[in-house]
Amino acid sequence: MEKKLKRWFETLDNKEKPDEFDAKQLVKLYSIKVPKGKRLGPEDELNIDDIKPPYVVKVCSSTILHKTEFKGVLLNNDKECVQDNFKLMQDRFPKENILVENQSTYMGPEFIIGIIKDPALGHAVMVGAGGVLTEIYKDTAFRLAPCSVTDATDMIDELVLSPVFDNFRGMNLDKKKLAQTISQVSRLAHDLGDKLSQLDINPIVFSDGEWIALDVKVMFE
Amino acid sequence: MDRIASLKRFLNPEKIAVIGASKSKNKVGGIVFRRLLDSRRRLFPVNPKETAIEGYKVSPDIQSLPKDIDLAIITISAAAAVKSVETCIEKGIPNYIIVAGGFGEVGSQGRALEEKLTRLAKENHVNILGPNSLGIFLPDENIDTIFVEHGDKSLDRKGRVACIVQSGSVGVEALGYASNTGYGMRAFVGLGNKCDLDEIDFLEYFARDEKTNCLGFYLENIERGRQFLTVAKEVAREKPVVVLKAGRTHTAASAVSSHTGKLAGSDNVISGALKQFGIQRVYDDEEFCDATKVLSMLSGALGNRVAVLTAAGGYGVMCTDFIEKKDMRAPLKMAKLSKDTQKRIKEATFPFTACENPVDITASADDRMFSQSLDALIEDDGVDIIICIAFFAPPGISENLIDIIADKIKKSDKPIIVFTKYGPFTDNRIKNLYTAGVVAYPSVGRAVRAARFLVERTKIKQRLDQKA
Repeated sequence: MEKKLKRWFETLDNKEKPDEFDAKQLVKLYSIKVPKGKRLGPEDELNIDDIKPPYVVKVCSSTILHKTEFKGVLLNNDKECVQDNFKLMQDRFPKENILVENQSTYMGPEFIIGIIKDPALGHAVMVGAGGVLTEIYKDTAFRLAPCSVTDATDMIDELVLSPVFDNFRGMNLDKKKLAQTISQVSRLAHDLGDKLSQLDINPIVFSDGEWIALDVKVMFE
Repeated sequence: MDRIASLKRFLNPEKIAVIGASKSKNKVGGIVFRRLLDSRRRLFPVNPKETAIEGYKVSPDIQSLPKDIDLAIITISAAAAVKSVETCIEKGIPNYIIVAGGFGEVGSQGRALEEKLTRLAKENHVNILGPNSLGIFLPDENIDTIFVEHGDKSLDRKGRVACIVQSGSVGVEALGYASNTGYGMRAFVGLGNKCDLDEIDFLEYFARDEKTNCLGFYLENIERGRQFLTVAKEVAREKPVVVLKAGRTHTAASAVSSHTGKLAGSDNVISGALKQFGIQRVYDDEEFCDATKVLSMLSGALGNRVAVLTAAGGYGVMCTDFIEKKDMRAPLKMAKLSKDTQKRIKEATFPFTACENPVDITASADDRMFSQSLDALIEDDGVDIIICIAFFAPPGISENLIDIIADKIKKSDKPIIVFTKYGPFTDNRIKNLYTAGVVAYPSVGRAVRAARFLVERTKIKQRLDQKA
């Protein structure tokens, strides 16, 4: 893993602030699924024949952390309108890259998996009710990194949201796979070591039998 | 020498010097010295202004002390205390308790003094407890250096809980109050500012102490956090470890820094980490005492099915509500009693006894009915824990009920927790139960919570054994 991490670092344009596309490449190293997508430069033409519709078009910048607030996300683009919306986004953010991804359909709630660095105890991994309201729900559980799959399962069981895993309203969510993902994220934090300051996977959703990270942010010291 | 081995001499010293011992009964040096008179150890007061205290000859200075002092208790103020430690080190004294405040908690000058103590301890391989330590108290060893009232006469001997507290007053007030209803303390250690000895040292020491079977900590900041957790997890395989971690919210955290001059970490992380490492967290001093009491007196339940035996219908209903309520601790459920159990209880009591759980044998019940119903519940394989709601006001119930319950606890592995109230005599009755070996609480909620501690402990133990 050390080699792979090193190679990932070398590919970064901005070594201190990786953008969303970079961050997604990082979690992919730990077997965490992300939507198929392409990062395109300010001068690039749209070239996404190998990605299935519908599409999400997002500004992809290491300086714009809250994309939605800056109108940096356009959802539900079909083959017809994606070209226009891609241009629109390039006009809106002329100096930035644009990320075009397959837009996943998913069932059940959005989760968040995160890493913070506690000043006394080092890296801790978190799972919680995700999405834009995550800070309002405050439905979270923490463990120190690295944490085992068993520990991660305990974390999920602690959430107010946990009954969704008991076939709630016919939802068939894979708890074990989510626990494995949490454990993998904690492993990532452990491997990256002290330089990792924070990491957010929000939301992570259950799509087509897999947990898939729709947005990833990573921050270094 | 191995630090843990050296702590044995610290906590069970033969020769104790009290630096700043005083004739005055109002001065710390006077109180500490007088407390030690009961210890049957050899005492050496030091004070240039005194010649004799309570018939003991006072040494004018540290140099005049004999060679092999085991422990020096320094009762003088901060700057002078540091100087005297330096002199004592030259004299070869290995262990110190520094009572005075005025160190890291008051600003840069104090911090410099505290850092000096840390350096002295490291360079000379001596043990320093404090500064700002309330001292140590081991009832079985007759060692008591605590200079405030703390219910020492009522704390039971042969206690098995080691209490290690960062804030001395939280410790003594909580335990002093707990002693009203009986509390078995093995040791009290006031950590204070932790310039040298900290929670890990005592965690390791009491983990190996045969007289200790449960460890409780009050902490505001955890030094060497990961190491504490790792060691605690090892200890938790054998003995329950309970932590009251204060400094949870932002405001409380700033209060912590004014109290011991340090900041505490984020609370959610701590909560998760404690669970991860098999440590049982509590949130106030009452819960601390309740948890350590039950965990030291009863071993973990095999499961979480609770039977309730009551002589008062209302409390039985209330108890059921508490058991079935969702709680952040281990879930409990009401046991389903076997037909045989129900039949036995009816035969032993009245044909009209409500034998679905809760079992209500009514205020007409007597000692014998209580005893036989309890037997039936103990022998029911569908029951893991029994909560016994016992009242002493009904005419058929006598004081003998205490011994009846105590006897069953001795003979059975099944934990029995008692909830009782007896008007103004409640505390005393609970203490009598404690003396007989019975864990009792004066409220339904606390009795049910105690059952959760036991189930939580069982789960921790199973998890740790699995991973081993």
